[in-house]
Amino acid sequence: MTLSSLSMRNAKRQARDYLVYFVTMVMTAALMYSFNGLVFSQEMLNLGKMMEVLPMVVTIASIVVVCIIAWLVQYTTNFMLSRRSRELGTYILIGLENKQVAKMFFRENLIVGGAALIPGLLLGNLLYQGLRALVLSLFGKPFSFTLGFSPKALALTLCYFLLIYLMAQRKSRKRIRSMKIYDLIYFERKNEEAVIQKSSNRKKLSIISIVLGVIGTLLIMAGDLTLGLIGAGLIIAFLYGFFASFASSVPAYFEKHSEKKYQGQTLIVFRSLSAKLAAMGVVMATIALLFTATQISEGAGLIFRAMFESRYEQNSCFDLMISSGTPQEEAMAKGVEFAKERISEEYSREYNIYFREETQNTDVIGSYIAKKGDYYRYYKMDTLMKFSDYAALRKLLGYSEVTLEPGKYLIHCQPYIARILKDWSQTVEAGGSSLEFGGIYTERFAQYLWCVNGHGYILIVPDEIAEASVFSHRVYAAKTPEPMDGFYGELKEQISAVLRAKDYEDHNVDLFLYSRAEDEKETASEIATIVFPLYYLALALTMTAATILTIQQLSEADRYRRQFNLLQKLGMDREDMEKALRKQFAFFYTLPALPSLLISIPFLLNMCGAADSGSLVGASHPLILLGITFALFFFIYAIYIFMAYSTMKRNVLP
Amino acid sequence: MLKVENIEKYYGSANNVTKALDRISFDVADGEFIAIMGSSGSGKTTLLNCISTIDTVSAGKILLDGVDISDLSPKELARFRRERLGFVFQDFNLLDTLTIEENIGLALSLTYTNPRSVQKQVQAMAQKLGITDILNKFPYQVSGGQKQRAACARAMVAGQSLLLADEPTGALDSKASKNLLEILTRMNRDMGGTILMVTHDAYSASYASRVLFLKDGRIFNELLRGNRERTDSYHEILNVLAMMGGDISDVI
Repeated sequence: MTLSSLSMRNAKRQARDYLVYFVTMVMTAALMYSFNGLVFSQEMLNLGKMMEVLPMVVTIASIVVVCIIAWLVQYTTNFMLSRRSRELGTYILIGLENKQVAKMFFRENLIVGGAALIPGLLLGNLLYQGLRALVLSLFGKPFSFTLGFSPKALALTLCYFLLIYLMAQRKSRKRIRSMKIYDLIYFERKNEEAVIQKSSNRKKLSIISIVLGVIGTLLIMAGDLTLGLIGAGLIIAFLYGFFASFASSVPAYFEKHSEKKYQGQTLIVFRSLSAKLAAMGVVMATIALLFTATQISEGAGLIFRAMFESRYEQNSCFDLMISSGTPQEEAMAKGVEFAKERISEEYSREYNIYFREETQNTDVIGSYIAKKGDYYRYYKMDTLMKFSDYAALRKLLGYSEVTLEPGKYLIHCQPYIARILKDWSQTVEAGGSSLEFGGIYTERFAQYLWCVNGHGYILIVPDEIAEASVFSHRVYAAKTPEPMDGFYGELKEQISAVLRAKDYEDHNVDLFLYSRAEDEKETASEIATIVFPLYYLALALTMTAATILTIQQLSEADRYRRQFNLLQKLGMDREDMEKALRKQFAFFYTLPALPSLLISIPFLLNMCGAADSGSLVGASHPLILLGITFALFFFIYAIYIFMAYSTMKRNVLP
Repeated sequence: MLKVENIEKYYGSANNVTKALDRISFDVADGEFIAIMGSSGSGKTTLLNCISTIDTVSAGKILLDGVDISDLSPKELARFRRERLGFVFQDFNLLDTLTIEENIGLALSLTYTNPRSVQKQVQAMAQKLGITDILNKFPYQVSGGQKQRAACARAMVAGQSLLLADEPTGALDSKASKNLLEILTRMNRDMGGTILMVTHDAYSASYASRVLFLKDGRIFNELLRGNRERTDSYHEILNVLAMMGGDISDVI
């Protein structure tokens, strides 16, 4: 038998014994290929201007994924080395050189990697089609399924894989080369040894690490970049300290409360767990860190998406808006003239927005909202709109008709502001008259972000009152029954021509231009370039961490089998054995996930808080977003746990 | 206490049957110390497995205090094992993640003993077997002899009445073997434990009050020690073994 055929046979065995690892490598190849497909797709790049950054973002994400997966491969191969030391020792014993064994081992791993690539690429192609469909639907473009390999994406995926294996094999190669036969053949498993022996030190370390964790979380929540970085450092210190001290705290706890350990299956469950943790405290901390990163990436992805979509939805009631605070702005006049030529009058409206000006209290409603809720007073005065304009705009947008009684005013605002104003009934002074409160309406009305129709709210007043008030800005708004392809580009060109003629710098012009079609494209681009790579990262991180945990758990199969065989002889009920195994699993998989939840929940809530008020509402409520984040995370995690548990139950219970 | 009636055990498929036990019958009285001897393949471990309910017989009956163990459900069998049987194996079979104290206490926690009294009972048993100083150590930190004594403690701590020992001195040096056999004798004599020990070592068997010789799955001979000295018994065992060396079973 040649060495290569031996490598081949070992590779087959490896793929079978470490099926979870193999499946993860297949999924990694699929993910990498599909995202590389996006990088090289001209179709994607043509979708929008912002999509140009997609290749860069995906490449950065891929490099991070390469590093993480390299760690996984390195960890797994090292782990296999330890498990197979006797076998490797035997090779050297029968006369192979260390160099040859190292080469054989590398070849074996490369075969497994190569074997994972083939189904991975096929799956990746399907995944790429899925991604394409998603991106195209974001841009409102039709999708048709096309099969075909992208050679460039394939080449890049191969490069990444080679990089992963080269990075991962460095360590194991060195290790095999310096191994001695005796060490290999008589490599015996060590038993539980506390990482930190002295109980006072242990206590100190666990207290210090928890304090660091709390401070770290608070610093991250402070929202300052430098503080956030320090906070992240502290959290990493917390995780490592916590797991180093936790493994030895369990035996210490039972030393003190010996009666507790003899209850039910406690003894078996906790001793196995603490033995495992003592051996892999550092790995557990790293996994907790990966989980934290996963949850934050996933949550951030969801929050960003919700923010982008909410912004789009809140503004997209009009197809086109041109606005300027300068009454006779020439560029605006040109734009409106151009628009009027193409959009009939029934689909558009030109109107003014006014300020309710008084010497004393200027924005009586704005300051009320700011006091009661989270609101930024963009205009320092309450904004007003003529009722006739309001009625026309409502008709244009297809909203129900409303009436305004003389001597009254209405408020049109975002839904979240309506909730703040639920007890509002004040009379306001405007245009020299007193107006009574007449009601609130909350349909979408371009009141968000660019504040065309007021920032969050606007007062609807009788026409003569508005006319007697101070001018704020002029608006041209249109809602066309059909999309107008290419119109926006031409409009911009017309406006630019005016600006060029007047030798204006763009930013000096008091002009606001909004196109729903452009906004939709921009939102889609943002989601594709920011949110998708975050999900990509999150998936790779979860798979890596869950794989390592599962390999660790399955590698204990022999020991568990011996343990349960003995327990059967000693007369333990099968139900109790199942219970013990279930508990062991539950604790083992909960431990790294728990601290990650404690960090990511406040972090994500804080991130939601940074979003504009009123943008995360309804199905995008922060708690719902968090719920989805953790549901997604635990769904993938549960697949791994289930795979491990069912294999384990089949193999170890007598 | 234990009654073995005409038990038979076959292994293998229809075309290739191995008869591991062939119509074996014997009784064990309360407080007896019985050794079962035989060369490898003679069926002694199979016999022990059948008695310990880990394996089932193909024919015949095993009665413990009048109860046929083949009538018991798996749940009853588990209960039977944890309450009535104690095991001592050749390779100790201690859990390496548990301390010696916990390994012994495990037998008590399986019988749902009040957790508060476990430590006391373990201490008391450890005192009798001279292993109090290693209770907080892990199996890998103590010697083979100490491990086997811990296994003995586990086998009796929950009040089990029948101790089944499978080559208990197989992995021990001669000094530790002697020490263990003396402990087994004490457990039999002073604590009233009934012991059934399987061994192929004549020296070990000489400690028993009765020795059954197994060959090719059948009882070949039986030796009662009576009031004789252990050394006499030892020589007699050797004589029987010498006799067994030839193919005498065919003659009988």
